Amino acid sequence: MNEKYNLGSVYFGILGVVALVCGIADLVVVAGGDSFSWGILEIPSDPFRGGWGGLIILFAGLFYLYSIKNFSEIHHFSKAVMGSILVWVIAGCDILAMITESIPGGEEGGWFNTLEGFLGTYAPPYAPAIFLLPFSLVIIYHLHKRGGTNADMEE
Amino acid sequence: MKVLLMGHPNVGKSVVFNRLTGANVIISNYPGTTVDYTKGYMKVKGKDFTVIDVPGTFSLEAKDKAEEVAVKMLEEEKDAVVICVVDSSKIERGLYLTLEIIERGYPVILALNMWDIAQDKSIHIDAEKLENILGIPVIPTIAINGKGIKDLVSKIKDATPVETDKILEKVGGKE
Amino acid sequence: MKLTVDERWDLIEKISKETVIFGVYKHTVKDAIGELTVKPLTGIPIAFAVLYGFWSFFGSFAGFFTDGFFVKLFDEHWLPWLQDVFPGGLGNWFYAIMVDAGHMENGILVASDNCFESFGVLTSGFFLAIGVVLPAIIAFYLILTLLEDTGYMPRLAVLIDTVLHKIGLHGFAIVPTILSLGCNVPAVTASRILETKKQRFIMMTLLAIFIPCGAQLGIMEEVIPDTIGFVLLYLFTGYFILGFILHKVLPGKSPEILIDVPPYQMPMLRDVAMKLWMRVKGFFKIAIPFVLLGCIIVNILYLANIIDWLANVLSPVLSGWFGVPKETVGPLIAAFLRKDLAVAQLSAIEMTKYQMITSVVLVSIYFPCVATFMMLLKEGWKDLLGSIAVLALVVFLYGGLLHLIWILLGVA
Repeated sequence: MNEKYNLGSVYFGILGVVALVCGIADLVVVAGGDSFSWGILEIPSDPFRGGWGGLIILFAGLFYLYSIKNFSEIHHFSKAVMGSILVWVIAGCDILAMITESIPGGEEGGWFNTLEGFLGTYAPPYAPAIFLLPFSLVIIYHLHKRGGTNADMEE
Repeated sequence: MKVLLMGHPNVGKSVVFNRLTGANVIISNYPGTTVDYTKGYMKVKGKDFTVIDVPGTFSLEAKDKAEEVAVKMLEEEKDAVVICVVDSSKIERGLYLTLEIIERGYPVILALNMWDIAQDKSIHIDAEKLENILGIPVIPTIAINGKGIKDLVSKIKDATPVETDKILEKVGGKE
Repeated sequence: MKLTVDERWDLIEKISKETVIFGVYKHTVKDAIGELTVKPLTGIPIAFAVLYGFWSFFGSFAGFFTDGFFVKLFDEHWLPWLQDVFPGGLGNWFYAIMVDAGHMENGILVASDNCFESFGVLTSGFFLAIGVVLPAIIAFYLILTLLEDTGYMPRLAVLIDTVLHKIGLHGFAIVPTILSLGCNVPAVTASRILETKKQRFIMMTLLAIFIPCGAQLGIMEEVIPDTIGFVLLYLFTGYFILGFILHKVLPGKSPEILIDVPPYQMPMLRDVAMKLWMRVKGFFKIAIPFVLLGCIIVNILYLANIIDWLANVLSPVLSGWFGVPKETVGPLIAAFLRKDLAVAQLSAIEMTKYQMITSVVLVSIYFPCVATFMMLLKEGWKDLLGSIAVLALVVFLYGGLLHLIWILLGVA
């Protein structure tokens, strides 16, 4: 077995646990009813972003953890790819929501937001999915290592 | 003159149709997008053709309403040329429908569509030999990016009805 | 000469032996991901994520245009400007139809200050069609098109096959169902991919009754953002309950299907753009005339006091059986023409949160809009009559049930 893949399974094992914890934290916060912030982390309490979204982050964690059983084998590896895709869906939706919120002027303002208001929308705190996003991108490196989508690495 | 586009569901008939006629009919990556026929027109060397995008059908024994439309269409257009669009990666199934149409005495052109996908799946088809055996024009196409469509158009005039006996003979007769 | 089925396969085998070489096929990551999306254990979480993405995008995109810009444009600029320059003025009948009918406050007729309440052709009509429905429809069809062209739809069909078999349909019924969330009209045509008469009848009846269209969803997001989740849940539950009953009651077959799952594909920009454009255009050809016509007709009925009269006549049914204010009769009439229009009109009526939920549910289930009605008629009048009979029963029982739930919860 290739050393790269061993490293990969350790990495995604840790990421999987983190994602799982984030997902569970999301669900706990939603069940509690008040949103939770800690430093630059904010867990939303609304049932859509927190509850539904949290559930998906939890699934992403499970996908990662399933994949490390045999990371070099293609069917297990693709579970890690799927885990990352789930994180991208949630984080992507969060970011899109931020973007669409940042541009218009709001009820009181003019047509467009002020520059401070615009930039302010992107200031922390962020939801957990946003923090997971950069770490999930590592999967692209592994996909590349495999030689795109067409390589076979079964040994 | 009329040209019918026939083939299994989701082999890209509507994509071929859009490329042939420049019309815009809805295409999707799943079977059953076309449930009714659509007509379009094209001009080849000054000759007008009516092209009809027929709903997908697995065989000429219709099983659902969309397939009924397809079979009825074929029966109504007695003097049409049929472009049989098949998924190259599932060529055998496609040949079944092609043979059925040939047997009914229609001039047929075979478009081996999704040629790229067949290659991805390392399925290699000898189109020339197939053309020889069937006695009809056989053209590999990748409709989604337009490859082979020009060839397809230029071969429409070469299509003639073929006797099934001739095909049987070429592969060694009936057992 | 015609061959028998066996002879034909025999011939094909010989031909393919001479012309086709099947190489060894190696699994790719793409294939492996394809498998993950189809197997229930992994596929269901993925479907959840897809739905999440769908809804989140829909909300962000539509909210951006509607709340971000169009509400401001129409309420702060278009409406006041028209109130200023349009001949006539409050109280004039033509002004009421075109711009603003106003409403009574302490016995005085006052002008409306937003385009949901004014209900003129030029104000509410344009605002709903362009400001609210257009962004919603574009957002919906954009995602739908991407899901279709990548090849996710048939996988969803495989995934949900078992569930849909319980209501006499099969996996592929998900296509008309999802299409219907955009507009019921093309969905009725799409239900032709179902094999038997029974399946088509079940499908069309369920679509006509329980699936709200994209225009309606857009307005609901705008008018009842907090309770839309509950309304949708109630409608989708109804979809399954009624489907289950119809499946048990109706004679006829519900055959199995074999779904051909095509490979995942990168959608082509040209095709996506073209399809999006055609669908949005197709939608608006149907929608705009009916929205504008709807405004005119409802206004005339109001002005002629017909709505007041109907409200009083139907009051026992509406407030007694369904527990909603009698004024909802106006929106219910508008719902014949356009459901989005009807929901918008509901928002202008004073009522409790729970009455609002019931009214929105009633508007959704009680009759297909004119355009859908015509499509159903095209598919056969006998089935249509059957659907309407089922529908009448469902409206009374399922609508009444909601009232009963509120009574039991003590909030009616």
